Amino acid sequence: MSPMASVTTKRGLEFGAPVLSCQNLWKLYGGSPETLLRQSNGKLDPEIIRAAGCIGAVRDVSLEVNKGEILVVMGLSGSGKSTLVRCLSLLVRPTIGEIFFEGQDLLAMSRRELQDVRRHKMGMVFQHFALLPHRTVIDNVAFPLEIQGISKQERTERAAQMVELVGLAGREEYFPAELSGGQQQRVGIARSLTVGPDLWFLDEPFSALDPLIRREMQDEFLRLQSLLNKTIIFITHDFDEAIRIGDRIAIMNEGEVVQIGKAEDILTSPANDYVVEFTQGISRERVLTVQKVLMPAPASFHPTQFVMETDTLDVAANTVLSSDGPVGVKGAGDDRVLGIIDNKKLAKVLYEN
Amino acid sequence: MKIGRHLFVGMAAAVVSLAGTNVPAEQQKSKEPIKIARHDWSGNLVTTGIAKAILEEAGYNVELLQAEYMGMWPGLESGDIHLAVEIWSTSAGELMEASVATGQTENLGEIGLTGLDRWWYPKYVQESCPGLPDWQALNDCAELFSTPLTAPKGRLLLFPAAWGGFDDERVEALKLNYEIVRAGSEAALYAEVQSAIRRDAPILAWFYEPHWAPQRFDGDWIDLPPYSDACYDDPSWGSNPDMAYDCAKPSGPIWKVAWSGLKQSWPDAHTIISEMELNNAEIGDMIGAVDLDGRDADDVVAEWIAANEDRWRAWLP
Amino acid sequence: MSLTQSTNKAESNTFYRANLPLGTKKILLSVILISLLFVPGWFGAATSNLVEYPATWIVPLNEWTSNGIYWLVNDFDLGLFTFKEFTRGISWLLTRPFILAEGILVSGFSFGSENVVVPPLSWMGVLLFCVLLALRIGTPGLALGVGLSLLYMAVFGLWESAMTTLASVSVAVPLGVFGGLAIGVLAHRNGVFAKILNPILDIMQTMPIFAYLVPVLFFFGFGPVAALTATIVYALPPMVRITRIALEQVPKEISEAGTMAGCTEAQMLRKVLLPSALPSLLVGVNQVIMLSLTVVIIASMIGAGGLGYDVLTALRRLSIGQGLEAGLAITLMAIVMDRFSQAAAQKSQVKRHENPRLPIWVTGWAILAALLLPTILSNWIAIFAAYPEELILSTARFWDDAVTWININLYDTLSTIKYGFLINVMLPVKQFMHSLPWSGVVLFVGALGFILSGWRLGLTVAALVFFLAMTGNWEKSMTTVYLVSVGVVLSFVLGFPVGLVAVYSERARGAILVAIDTLQTLPSFVYLIPVVMLFENGDFAALIAIVAYAIVPSIRYTEFGIRSVSKDLVEASDMMGCTRWQAFLKVKLPLAFPEIMLGVNQTIMMALSMLIITALVGTRDLGQEVLNALQKADPGRGLVAGLCVAFIAIIADRLIKASADRMRRRMSGQKSE
Repeated sequence: MSPMASVTTKRGLEFGAPVLSCQNLWKLYGGSPETLLRQSNGKLDPEIIRAAGCIGAVRDVSLEVNKGEILVVMGLSGSGKSTLVRCLSLLVRPTIGEIFFEGQDLLAMSRRELQDVRRHKMGMVFQHFALLPHRTVIDNVAFPLEIQGISKQERTERAAQMVELVGLAGREEYFPAELSGGQQQRVGIARSLTVGPDLWFLDEPFSALDPLIRREMQDEFLRLQSLLNKTIIFITHDFDEAIRIGDRIAIMNEGEVVQIGKAEDILTSPANDYVVEFTQGISRERVLTVQKVLMPAPASFHPTQFVMETDTLDVAANTVLSSDGPVGVKGAGDDRVLGIIDNKKLAKVLYEN
Repeated sequence: MKIGRHLFVGMAAAVVSLAGTNVPAEQQKSKEPIKIARHDWSGNLVTTGIAKAILEEAGYNVELLQAEYMGMWPGLESGDIHLAVEIWSTSAGELMEASVATGQTENLGEIGLTGLDRWWYPKYVQESCPGLPDWQALNDCAELFSTPLTAPKGRLLLFPAAWGGFDDERVEALKLNYEIVRAGSEAALYAEVQSAIRRDAPILAWFYEPHWAPQRFDGDWIDLPPYSDACYDDPSWGSNPDMAYDCAKPSGPIWKVAWSGLKQSWPDAHTIISEMELNNAEIGDMIGAVDLDGRDADDVVAEWIAANEDRWRAWLP
Repeated sequence: MSLTQSTNKAESNTFYRANLPLGTKKILLSVILISLLFVPGWFGAATSNLVEYPATWIVPLNEWTSNGIYWLVNDFDLGLFTFKEFTRGISWLLTRPFILAEGILVSGFSFGSENVVVPPLSWMGVLLFCVLLALRIGTPGLALGVGLSLLYMAVFGLWESAMTTLASVSVAVPLGVFGGLAIGVLAHRNGVFAKILNPILDIMQTMPIFAYLVPVLFFFGFGPVAALTATIVYALPPMVRITRIALEQVPKEISEAGTMAGCTEAQMLRKVLLPSALPSLLVGVNQVIMLSLTVVIIASMIGAGGLGYDVLTALRRLSIGQGLEAGLAITLMAIVMDRFSQAAAQKSQVKRHENPRLPIWVTGWAILAALLLPTILSNWIAIFAAYPEELILSTARFWDDAVTWININLYDTLSTIKYGFLINVMLPVKQFMHSLPWSGVVLFVGALGFILSGWRLGLTVAALVFFLAMTGNWEKSMTTVYLVSVGVVLSFVLGFPVGLVAVYSERARGAILVAIDTLQTLPSFVYLIPVVMLFENGDFAALIAIVAYAIVPSIRYTEFGIRSVSKDLVEASDMMGCTRWQAFLKVKLPLAFPEIMLGVNQTIMMALSMLIITALVGTRDLGQEVLNALQKADPGRGLVAGLCVAFIAIIADRLIKASADRMRRRMSGQKSE
């Protein structure tokens, strides 16, 4: 199964109820942020915040992640994406706002309750792996279980399964320093999965890796997700990665989420110039689906060749280009012709801007 | 919790051990060590060594504690230290009197040695300054004993100021054209003397006896006007009618001092140390054996113990 | 607050720049600053109180402190027990491990009727044990070094003393390490505590041990515990500091990983933070070991015995060779322990899955057997119990002869140099320092602090300078400042080129590192006595002792500073066609400057820590005051003089750090903190 295929199929899925949601989340540093927020009813621009001596790391963010969905938070460095994910996992306490996890108010939880949620329901992968340097691979992976007080034998068994899952069988006794970056991050991934979390945070997990390794790890990640079907918040500064991985993408700028939606929606209707900047240079044929560009079929037209409406353009191109005339577009599992597409239209969509 | 408990146990034991000093002597003997202060000059290794050996012969458990000579008094008064067998009246006489006056310590009498504490010059200086050892020749030779820093005054090398002795007053009262330079420690003082002697350079320094230095280095004491109480108390006495201290230092007895609880806790030890008496000649020889011949102090003490059994047996009750 | 302050500063800077050519401002500022020194003098006799601190203004702090201590010792009752019983309880507790260690290493144990005797560890056993252990955790090279060092101690007849020293170090080091760790963790978790702690650590590190010895003797009694306490007080602060820094340097992500795994605070500390910080923490352990061995001599003056005592007694009878042999044993012990701890540090993250290239028989049991078997045999066979006396060697005669030769042949040359330096450099500096009015110095130092950092620093350092005058220690303090400043300047004049040589020549570097390791651990008393033979008692001998010890950081930091200049910048300057000399002068030196300033700072600290040693060759500074107080058993006087030393250190430290910070900020382009 090719990785692209898994994304496209997943995109066809219906997601369940929200697992995590936040409303009007703010995180300000410096100054006296609470008063500032109360006085201004949440309507603040960067200038006012700066004038008050505050830095708005996260500004008025509302979003939700549904069961089984991958939400990618995308932004340049300093855009607040890392702070946002730390607010959502409560590693950093937001200044103001609400966070609900499986219907429970995270901010209202006691230390104990929060600790419990983290022990059993959350997992996190870090940009620089955050492995414990003094522990071997197996002990690193078993660490969250050890924290819960699970017996040595059981946790080693469970950890060994995870190590195998991420393809590091045979390296259980290595120390992190002896592994390559990609291998280290596999350990990080295994560790974050040992407790079987419902919600999986990945904070720029592949940013510190070389491009080739990064690609390999993305494939690996998608493979795992196809097996595990977790609810995921994935942080990245790489739009390509966001497109490959995300079911939905939230684009952040200066602490705000400027646009949230599916990759092709962002590509076809970017919310502002900032987003446009990102979309440029993206290979659109891999993102856009036929559905977005099909033309109504003339009544008299009876195509002999077909593409599926969920195909991306690069997949459809083979058929379209080898056909003399327009080809028909069909929906999944039904034979009705939804429209047509021809090589002229294809060229126009791909190369117009 | 655990630490707390240990602390409590420690405390309890400390209290018991303090209280324990009132337990009858027979039980105390041989168990609880008698602690003797040992100081940092070599003669003291011998005297405390002898005291330790005799008490051990008498069946006591003895421990030597390295203690600052001047700084040990609070220890003696509190019973941390039980005995000090070499208190020089020339240097620590006043401290001892003050301590005994508190009632916490007790003077066990003289040890039989006499502390002498005078100015000294090497023999070869005699030629260049023929008037010596008479003190009145010192001013004639001031140039001889001078260095670029003290010139035209002579240089008089003395022990650290804290050891007392009124030498500043003495130099002024005798109208000596000398500047006093203080060595920071005994070792530094003798290092300089040794260096001068190697080079046949003139030097005027403070020495004391019993000590190895007067034995090792060939030299003479400066003759100052003899000491009298009047010299120290009465300015009109002596060559300078306006100032006291225009004379030598008193030669002083050396005392044995005990913590006042010693008599009750270890009555026999109290008797033994009170009786103990040595003399300058034998101690001088032993210091020579240790410091000049480089012999082990313990061996030297053991020889003395073997050779003088009649004497110390008589001190045992 | 800080924002407005920095704006004001920026404005005033612009003001100056607008009106005056660059450079003039600096000169003007310096002139104003320096003139502050003399302001009180200009007003003539009317202000003589401001020139010389009047005796009637002296606050009797000595007396108050003494009375306070007497009250604590005699009258302070905590209810269930008195304060003295409390401290004595601690003392009793501390004695237990010491007695145990001494029993194991030196004296053995005897039970009841004295028929049952457990011998101390056999010298041969200890030697084998250490060699095998070195093989196991380190390299064959380490094992060889360890073996030779221990053999040295046996062959030169220093075994028993070495084990006595080891016994006290082996009690002091764990106490220092774990105590420091605990305090460091507390400071890491509680910012307020850390703030209060910092100056206390400064004082602990810079106050001469003799200054608090009398109170320690009052509270903890005479004997090994006093030495132990003093050692711990001295060796603990670096451990506390390193613990804090190590914990702060644990990557944030790692502690976040711990949080996300659901760690409790205790789990976080035990399983995440401390193990992650281990390599840095081991640096702290190493510092504790080194510092414990640095004070071996001083500890032996108050009852610790061992090698330090051997050095002292040998030198007291001018047996320089013997003193040197015992002193070198201390150095060797320090180096061996240092290398051991480094090997252990590297071991903690070494490949576990690969079979180490070790002979198969070097197992834990074999190592243990190597230790115990000779010990058991030592009950019957003499050679296992003690190194045979007839095989003991000594090189003492050689050293004594060497010193004598130098003494006779070089004395005149050296003393010409000595008098030249004394008369032309030292005495003028000394006179200058003593001519300064105390109030002028208060103003000057305060203003300097203000310019470098702000009101807080200015007021703090001015108050500390005032303390020197207020307690009646002004003259001795200025003597101290004079000796230390000449010593520091000389250390740098000599140390800086040596540091440069170490940068540019790999071969010289090795030799220099060995030399400075030795200088740092060889007890200064060993070379002090020959120095006195050549230079007499007094300030010059003291200066040499100071320079010999304080030159170490000036070499280290020069080397480190220049070496750590970023490669990019060096390459950039090469590409611009700088000559080697230009690259050094215009790129490396300015960039290394903050680092070198910290070297100056360390040099000052080291110089100050030598004061108590230099007092032994007849200086008349604060060190002498501390020594005098000790000899008169005056706790208040010693503590106050010790505080003066600590305060001088703190003033220098704060001012230098403030100016280094300023420079760093400018270089990194930040406008305010």
